[in-house]
Amino acid sequence: MAEVFEPKIVAFLCKWCSSAGSDLAGVSRMEYPPNVVPIQVMCSGSVSPLYILSAFNKGADGVLVSGCHPGDCHYIKGNFYARRRIALVKRLLEFIGLEPQRFQMSWVSAAEGTKYTQIIKDFVQELKPLGPQTKLRRDL
Amino acid sequence: MVNLEDLKKEAKAVLEEGKVKYIIGYEKSANGLMPVPGFIKSPEEVEKLIWTPACVYNLTKFLVDEKRRKSREKKPDERPVGLVVKGCDSRALIVLLQEKFINRDDVFIIGVSCEETGVIDEKKFLKKLKGKKAEKIEFDEKDNFMVTTQEGKVKVAASEVLAERCLECKANSPLIYDVILGEKVKRSMDNPFQSLEKLESLSEEERWKFWKEQLSKCIRCYACRSVCPMCYCDECVADTINFAVTADTTAEEKAQKIKWLEKSPVKSENFVYHLVRAIHLAGRCIDCGECERVCPLDIPIRFLNKKLEKDAKELFDYEAGFDPEQASLVSSFKDEDPEDFIR
Repeated sequence: MAEVFEPKIVAFLCKWCSSAGSDLAGVSRMEYPPNVVPIQVMCSGSVSPLYILSAFNKGADGVLVSGCHPGDCHYIKGNFYARRRIALVKRLLEFIGLEPQRFQMSWVSAAEGTKYTQIIKDFVQELKPLGPQTKLRRDL
Repeated sequence: MVNLEDLKKEAKAVLEEGKVKYIIGYEKSANGLMPVPGFIKSPEEVEKLIWTPACVYNLTKFLVDEKRRKSREKKPDERPVGLVVKGCDSRALIVLLQEKFINRDDVFIIGVSCEETGVIDEKKFLKKLKGKKAEKIEFDEKDNFMVTTQEGKVKVAASEVLAERCLECKANSPLIYDVILGEKVKRSMDNPFQSLEKLESLSEEERWKFWKEQLSKCIRCYACRSVCPMCYCDECVADTINFAVTADTTAEEKAQKIKWLEKSPVKSENFVYHLVRAIHLAGRCIDCGECERVCPLDIPIRFLNKKLEKDAKELFDYEAGFDPEQASLVSSFKDEDPEDFIR
């Protein structure tokens, strides 16, 4: 029997909203695919483009950056900086020919456990037909 | 048109007055056609200065070296450095001023206007001459260059040999200067992103194929980094050791340091290097095209920077190198920045 492809997603979640949101999904026992590796960061604005490239380089099939809704940032404006930077990185990755579905950004608040599960479900659904990410994977 | 005698006169005047330490300009090289950067230290040496369509180099890079040298001197000469800049180079200066890497008093700017033309692309030019050896190239009328070869003089249409970036130039005369030579004219331009749009219009698979082929060639000589006037960091993520090593740094600390990318010139690592380089230049690159010119493998690196330049313009209405007072692209934001890509 052919093995079903299970994508691996690296999610950079901000400590104050998205990480708490994913926690809420967990403690509320909501079901969502186990494909995601959450990495807690202090703020979505602290996610360097290098983290994203590095995740792809080390074999991630998809990368998610998630932060607080605009205006809710614990550091007042970190997510606004993130929004600008991620937009540029996303456009650049698409320009070099990476599938646009592989890199996503979302706003998830601490109360949005359901939204978080939905985002992960959709993400996994979108990644499955694409197959493994080999374009930026380390080939040493 | 910039008169070389005027340039020499201006240079001589500031050197005689002792206003500047020295002047960085262009001087004749042994091969004749392409000039070399010249460091003019006395009024007598001024005769060495030249100004031709082959003066392609962005001399602002030397300010980075100058700043380092100055910081090491015990009693530095506080006078400014004279610098010959073209329109594009002046934008690089503006970005360096914006980032407060240099002060306006550190540099005496001798602006030269390209007026309606620009500088040549050496490869295009040699191809056009079909093996004839050029001894001299001069600005002629608006659309032509006068080339002196061994077999006599020939006129070459500027549009055929101009560097790609000159065809998409946004500033053909210096934006900041202490003295300016030549006329300040604005050249009409149809589309500053015409070459990029051709690449953008390809399908996803074609774009991937293109970049895979191009970036796999990279041998990681870092010439693009060395020549870039904006790549002035003392520590760089691309280096094996990208943190300060002191006598107290233990072997363990060195071993535990995260290595973001490997040195090996393989496809995946080259992608990380070039993408990071492009992102670090987002909103800073002024498209002087030096990275592409020095690349020994002819990788069209300029497109990566150009793409970010275009996105910055489209998404955030940001243009680098026009206003030394504006906040940089990634350290500012607007409430109405697009967020349609965010879930």
